[in-house]
Parts: sequence; structure tokens; C-alpha cells
Amino acid sequence: MKLRARLPASGPKGDVRLEVAHGAPSFRVQLDGRTLAGEAAVFRPGIWSLVFEDGRQIEVSLEPASDGALRVQFGSAILTFDLQDELTALALVSSGRGKTKRADVVAAAMPGRVLKLMVAPGDVVASGQPILVLEAMKMENEVKAPREGVVESVVVAAGQAVSAGEILIRLKSDG
Amino acid sequence: MNRPRLLIANRGEIAARIIRACRDLGVSPVAVFSDADRTSLHVRLADAAVHIGPPPARESYLVPEKLIAAAKKTGATFIHPGYGFLAENAAFAQMVIDAGLVWVGPSPGSISAMGSKTASRAKVMAAGVPIVPGMTTPAKDAAEVVAFGEKNGYPLLLKAAAGGGGKGMRVVRSAGEVPAAFARAQSEAKSYFADPAVYAELFVEKSRHVEIQVLGDQTGRIIALGERECSLQRRHQKVLEECPSAAVTPELRARMEKVAVAAARAVDYVSAGTVEFLLAKDGRFFFLEMNTRIQVEHPVTEVVYGVDLVAEMIRIARGEPMSIEMRLEPRGHALQCRIYAEDPARGFAPSPGKIRRLRRPQGPGVRVDSGVEEGDVVPLDYDAMLAKFVIWGKDRDEAIRRARRALGEARVEGIETTIPFFLAMLEDPEFLANDVSTQFLDGWTYQAATETEEQQSAALVAGALDAFERAQGSRPAASGGAGTAGLSPWRTARPTFGVRS
Repeated sequence: MKLRARLPASGPKGDVRLEVAHGAPSFRVQLDGRTLAGEAAVFRPGIWSLVFEDGRQIEVSLEPASDGALRVQFGSAILTFDLQDELTALALVSSGRGKTKRADVVAAAMPGRVLKLMVAPGDVVASGQPILVLEAMKMENEVKAPREGVVESVVVAAGQAVSAGEILIRLKSDG
Repeated sequence: MNRPRLLIANRGEIAARIIRACRDLGVSPVAVFSDADRTSLHVRLADAAVHIGPPPARESYLVPEKLIAAAKKTGATFIHPGYGFLAENAAFAQMVIDAGLVWVGPSPGSISAMGSKTASRAKVMAAGVPIVPGMTTPAKDAAEVVAFGEKNGYPLLLKAAAGGGGKGMRVVRSAGEVPAAFARAQSEAKSYFADPAVYAELFVEKSRHVEIQVLGDQTGRIIALGERECSLQRRHQKVLEECPSAAVTPELRARMEKVAVAAARAVDYVSAGTVEFLLAKDGRFFFLEMNTRIQVEHPVTEVVYGVDLVAEMIRIARGEPMSIEMRLEPRGHALQCRIYAEDPARGFAPSPGKIRRLRRPQGPGVRVDSGVEEGDVVPLDYDAMLAKFVIWGKDRDEAIRRARRALGEARVEGIETTIPFFLAMLEDPEFLANDVSTQFLDGWTYQAATETEEQQSAALVAGALDAFERAQGSRPAASGGAGTAGLSPWRTARPTFGVRS
């Protein structure tokens, strides 16, 4: 099985190619041409203990992140990356999906209630400008514009309850 | 049922903490719950539980009549308010007493004398306690705050008069910022404390927040149990607390304890309370306020002084003298990390949801006070604190090393938590050198720990193996599933334990 992982841009690598020759319990995986092998065991779904050939043990927890990426937790760090079957990855690239684009929408990062709207359609906003106040868990959180631009529409009303990921405001597309 | 019953007018971690003290004393604990808390840990730990309404606190945990009716229904004769909610509400304390129940806390008179932060200043000043310049009555409008700023200079701190716990507080650096900040502070004060009154005080920069634990009983005895260092705050909310403070010498401790006891005596204080001070770089200290309740950070004092403050509160409410007979000295050092359901990588945005996996840290020097278990859903309706990791070591260095171990051992999955934030902060050179002030975290940016090359390749390998297994359809993977089928070996082994054939 061939896979392609996309690591965060800040990471030392970009895309990584993986090939699983043998799965658990005795695994053999090619990572950018390097062979890693050892014993792998599932403690519970998504929680793996890997013991590499040199004896090194690491506990790794995998869980799908909200945006479809894979979130991996170890003792002191969290790594999030996209992992796709090579065939799926190719399909996405050829159809033009999977490309990043300047955000045209501002969505709620958390569930809450809209306390106050600070912009109206047609307003010009600067990047980082507060555009509304969202109350969640007894704290008032200012939501800021992700980029400069013009407000196309305000999707929510003051007092309205919103769920995580719900679109709050649309910015005019700049291209 | 002969055992006395105690109703806990609270939820979450502190409700569970009070239940434990009840058990230790042979008192039967009674829980209350809103619709959001039906299956919460504090309910499942209690001997009796009463539904008190819908999730919003103002329709459940903040309704005195419902709480008193719940006590009557279950035959509880004591009410412990915990912290937050109605803990510092003198009217509620009075209603409890008028209903013929015992209030586990200071008298309504002490609460109201200290509860109005403005009136409390006048009171303690008369007892010789030093204070920071501040308004002695709530501000009628923004103009009054501006006038105060003209007279005393900036920056100022706007605070909720009925508040506590950092809710509704704002720093104002110039007259121009006053109107907007005043409106926001009033709005937060109203939504959290049902009282929009706000006042201003001078903001002493680069100061530490050091507080003294006091305990008074009905014999008139009032003692102090050392200090807690609470300078590490974010949005004026304490994040990490220590006992003792590395900035406090035995000589300074004795002076602060003396002043704290004088402040408590000024209001005839009974029960556990905390006198908060600003400690300036030059060693001067100023009274900030007195919290007339148990505090979130009380466990660091408990582990360093070897006491159970919540149990003492219950003993004292029963009319017994406190069980602490002689002057106690601090032993070792303790840290408390408040673990919140917040995502440090996204500006500490709340992260409610279901706790899919929870591994609590264990081992020497580790105490975990928590209101959640694996499988619990963290509701959006309340404070997002999940647990407190209270770590003890023979000195500060050992406590810090053990804290790193405990935080590294813990696993919380399904929601984001502030554990990675603490792991990063416990490496900060200034924190390690104890060079901190209440502004320390304002100028501190969280940077997630970067994974090592080895961790990264392990993560990729595990991800690939997981995907491989899923493609083979052999086992449910990261997306969850039914888990192991059939009986676990523990189950089948069980009859061999403690069974005499």
C-alpha cells in the first residue's frame, strides 16, 4: 500500500511518501526510501505501541481531526498531518481540489453565542480587525478578520447560537 | 439514615472534592445537577442527587430556592457552596441559615463585608492592612473611572465589584480606552455575577500575586497557613499556583500572615478564606481582596501543610474547633497546573466535547483533582476546567521535574487541553529561575513543542499502519469502533480473586 503524507508547512519536510510492505504485528514500512521495521501493537483502536528493531518504544495516539487530517499525539508533542492513499491524492490534485485558497469565510472556531457584530456588508476590514464577539464558556472572544477585504455578507445575527465550523461572515472573493 | 447529609451547591471538580471530604468525615454527600450534568462525575459519586433545572447556571446552579428545596427534599442539613456560583453570595448564605440549614462557610456578615471589594478596603484599612489605591464605591459611569485615572495615574484595572476568579476584569492604559473597556467589563460582570457593578484600582506593574490561606473556627481562633504564589495568570485567571512562594522569606511570610489574620479578624472570620496581596518587587505588599470561600488552588496548601481544608470547613461548620492544634511549617514545594479544555495552539479557544481517552498521571508526589472521567462530555455551559494536577516535591526543582513527568504521562484525547502549554512553560528559563510577575504570561507566547525526527517518523509509520489495517478491514482504527470483542482476560480471571472455594 502506497501513501502520501503532507506535513505542516513549518516542518522540515513537505510531502512524505510511505509504503507499507508488512502491516502489524511485524511491520516494515518505507519512509521516503528508508526502511523502518519492528513490532506494532494496537492497545485500543487508534492507540499504537511501536517497538522498533533497535528496541525503541513509542506510544502514539491517532485521531481524525475535524478537517479530515490525522492528529497524532505523543508524550510531549502533537503532530497533525494529512495522510492519503496515493491514488486518492492523485485524484484530488487532478480535479483541482486540495489546493489552498485565501479564506473567503470566517467560521466559528468553537460553539458559542454571537454577542455582538462589529461589521456590516460593504465594510472594508483590515487583517486582524475584530469583527464580532463570540461568547463561549463564559468568556467573550473577539473574532478577527483572517485577511484584509470587503465584507460580502453577515450570515449570523447577534444573540444567535452557533456551532463549531458554522460560517459567520463572508468576505468578497478577491479572485 | 443517621449520618448527617451535606448538599453541595456546585458541580464539576470542586463538587467531587467536597464529596471526598464528606466521605472522609462520614458525612453523606448530596449532589445537584442541571440537564447538562445528569451523568457528570459529581452526580455519580453522590449518595443522593437532585435535578435543579436547565443547563444555564442562572436557571439552575444560581437559583437559591432550588438549592434549598433540594436540601430539604434529601434531608441534607448542611450546604457547602464550593467556589464560583453562589459561594460568595451573602443573601444565599442567609437564606440557607433562615431555612434552618447549616452554611459551610463564613457568616453572611463576613461575606458581605468582604464581598463588596470597595467596602472591604475601608474595613481592613481600619485594621492597619495596607491597600492599593482604588475606588471605594463602584463606578457610576466611565467618566468616574476617567476621573480616578486623572488623580491616580494609569494603568488601571477594572474589576467586577461582585466578582472573583478574573471574570470581568480589564486593564486600561489611557483615558481613551476607558469607555469601551468599562462597557465590556460591565457586560461580563452582569453575565457572570448577575451584577454589572465595576470599580477601578491602580495597577501595580511587575508585581506578584501572593495570597495567604486563613482558617477561623467558632471558638474565635484564626490561623494562617502560609502563602500561595499565583502570579502566573492569563486574562487575569490563575493558571499555575505554587506553595510556598520562592519570593517569600520566612520573615516576610510571618508579616504577611499577621496582616492576613488581622484582616480576617476585622470581619470575625470563620471557616476557610484567602487574603490576596500584591507583592511589589521591593517587598511591599498590598491587600487586594479577601475570598470568603475555598479556592481552586487550595490543594497546594493542603499538600505542603498536610491539612484537609475542606474537611476543616465541615468540622468548623459543625461547631467543632479546627483540628490543627499547633503552628504548622511548610514542608517541600507544590505546584498546581489547571488543566482546561482549551486549545493552546488556537489562542486557548474553548474545546468542549467528549473525552475519548483519559490517562491520569500517577506516582510519587502526584494528586489529581478532577470532575471528569473517560467518556464524559465537557459541556459548553460552564467553566472549562477539567482537572487540577497537584504536584509535590521536596523542593521546587523536584516538584517541577515531577510536574513534567505527570504532564507527559497524562493523555487526554477527543478534546484539546492546556497540557502542552504547561509542558512548554515548565521549560521557560525565567519561570525556572522564578523571575515572574502577574504580567509574565501576557508577554509569553505559547509555542508547541516540536516533535523529534524519531517521533515524526513513528507518527507517520503508525498512521500508515493504521490506514493499512483499515484498508484490510481487519480492525477498527483511529475513527473508533466497538473495541475488543468478547470477554477480557480480567473478566475471566475475576473469580480467582478473593473467592474461597
